[in-house]
Amino acid sequence: MKNTRLSKYAGFWPTIFIAPFCIFFFVFNLYPILYSVYMSFLDWNGYSEKKFIGIENYVNIFTKDTTFWSSLFNTVKIGLLGFPISIILGLIFASLLSRVVRGRRFLQTSNFLPYITTPVAIGMMFTFLFEQHIGMVNRLITALGGEAVNFIGSKFWAPIVIAFMIIWKDTGYFIVMYLAGITSIPEDIYEAAEIDGASKVQTFFHITVPLLKNVTVFLVITSMIYAFQLFDEPNLLFTNQSSSTVGGPGQSCLTMVWNFYNQAFGPNPRMGYASALSCMLFLIIVAVSLVGMKVMNKEED
Amino acid sequence: MAKNIRKTITAIILGILTVISIFPFWLMFSMSTYKSEMIFQNNPILPSDYFLENLKTIFASNFVQSYGNSLFVSILSMVIGVLVCSMVGYGMYAYKFRFKKQLNIFIMMTMMVPNQIGIIGYMIEMRNLGVNNTLWPLIFTWFANGFGTYWMISFVKQAVPMELIESARIDGANELRIFGSIVVPCIRPGIVTLCLLLFLWSWNNYMLPLVFINKQDNYTIPIFVKSLASAFRTDYGAQLAGLTLATIPLLIIFIIGSKSLIKGLTAGAVKG
Repeated sequence: MKNTRLSKYAGFWPTIFIAPFCIFFFVFNLYPILYSVYMSFLDWNGYSEKKFIGIENYVNIFTKDTTFWSSLFNTVKIGLLGFPISIILGLIFASLLSRVVRGRRFLQTSNFLPYITTPVAIGMMFTFLFEQHIGMVNRLITALGGEAVNFIGSKFWAPIVIAFMIIWKDTGYFIVMYLAGITSIPEDIYEAAEIDGASKVQTFFHITVPLLKNVTVFLVITSMIYAFQLFDEPNLLFTNQSSSTVGGPGQSCLTMVWNFYNQAFGPNPRMGYASALSCMLFLIIVAVSLVGMKVMNKEED
Repeated sequence: MAKNIRKTITAIILGILTVISIFPFWLMFSMSTYKSEMIFQNNPILPSDYFLENLKTIFASNFVQSYGNSLFVSILSMVIGVLVCSMVGYGMYAYKFRFKKQLNIFIMMTMMVPNQIGIIGYMIEMRNLGVNNTLWPLIFTWFANGFGTYWMISFVKQAVPMELIESARIDGANELRIFGSIVVPCIRPGIVTLCLLLFLWSWNNYMLPLVFINKQDNYTIPIFVKSLASAFRTDYGAQLAGLTLATIPLLIIFIIGSKSLIKGLTAGAVKG
């Protein structure tokens, strides 16, 4: 009985509801990616004759292109400097915030502000804050008797400044996600823990953290994917510099996407080669997400 | 007694966090009230009196049009994106069909695929469609959003009781009506949340306009602000005034929607 009724709905209506997504996804997302895969086998600068060169672009990435590997290294480094701290801070602040009654909405909204700030503004503000001569942080340091640090111009500090941008911007997002998770934990679990004499710290580690595991898995995986796409923050930190170098000091902030962008749309466009770079990026993202999911799910058992 | 101390400590920690969160934001506003050359001679923590002059500068160039372009792009991306996602959410929940399982896995995988990866192919596709000098490339890209779809599917699962749909079907309601008058009200917090996120993401989008927009008539806010910097003089004051104004719509929708945001996220992907 149930099956026959369902079958009445099985052909036409699901198509109506699902087709728009499938069509749009194919036309505007999948097709461009497949086209990029095709182009990764070409030697092409965007307007000249296309030349099919097989896997030569990939061979070059593995054998000649040190920039690719250093951009991979930079991306991983900046991501590792930024996101873990940001996620942990998000968890801690969310659990503190969840106990606040008065002014909670204000705190939530104001801590979400960085997340909604336009990247262009973030880039400018951080340039102003960390600039060597006029930046506020350095003025503070010199006022306290220290020596001004060339944060943005130094190979060592620039990636840290970018990690700091990430922490500043994304912690609010993580707070909101964790708060949403905490709201769904039943209140009586906490009451029971309190009756059993558990301290707040114990409750945090033995109840809050394990019960939020799904949120954590989701956030870790999405932020890994996000980390490999890092472009706005590093690019914008250096656009206001007079010497607009690609990749920041010593290319220490050249992320994979920035490298790709520069190859594709820079002064000497190499569309074919850039497509190969983007395909490598794609493979890396898929691999990392799959490994991430596997590791995170294993811990569950 | 101990409880009070703990409360105070919590308040102090949260207070510091909030100050850090707001400070650069405040700085943006406060610096936008300075003449560009004066910003670095003072400590621009307190507002000055040059805000109106900076506004004049940006309104004299094509700020209004850029603002309009940004609004057009973001609103259209948001409306169509959310509609498409909600429809899939309902479709994947309320029907059984062949290859549903495969489709579900496929949709999960779309979440892993950042749009940037196909950007070269996308550019050439848009060129072939003849829309590469318009705003459409900035809009199309949000129509089938992987994250939104994945998230909406799990949201609909949580928020819409199947019995409600079944009984409406028995009453002879058309599927589109069921979607419009039963499903949509049930998933309202989810819709609000996704609206906020899609609006935010397309409003702040930086890389796509950087690639696609090459004439002034089509500037969106981020590109407009960048255009205020030239080789001769970068008008920081004006740039910041533009950015401050650009933040207003985001602030408004987030203050209105912040309650739904938490609610929507609670019921959505977080559990799914």
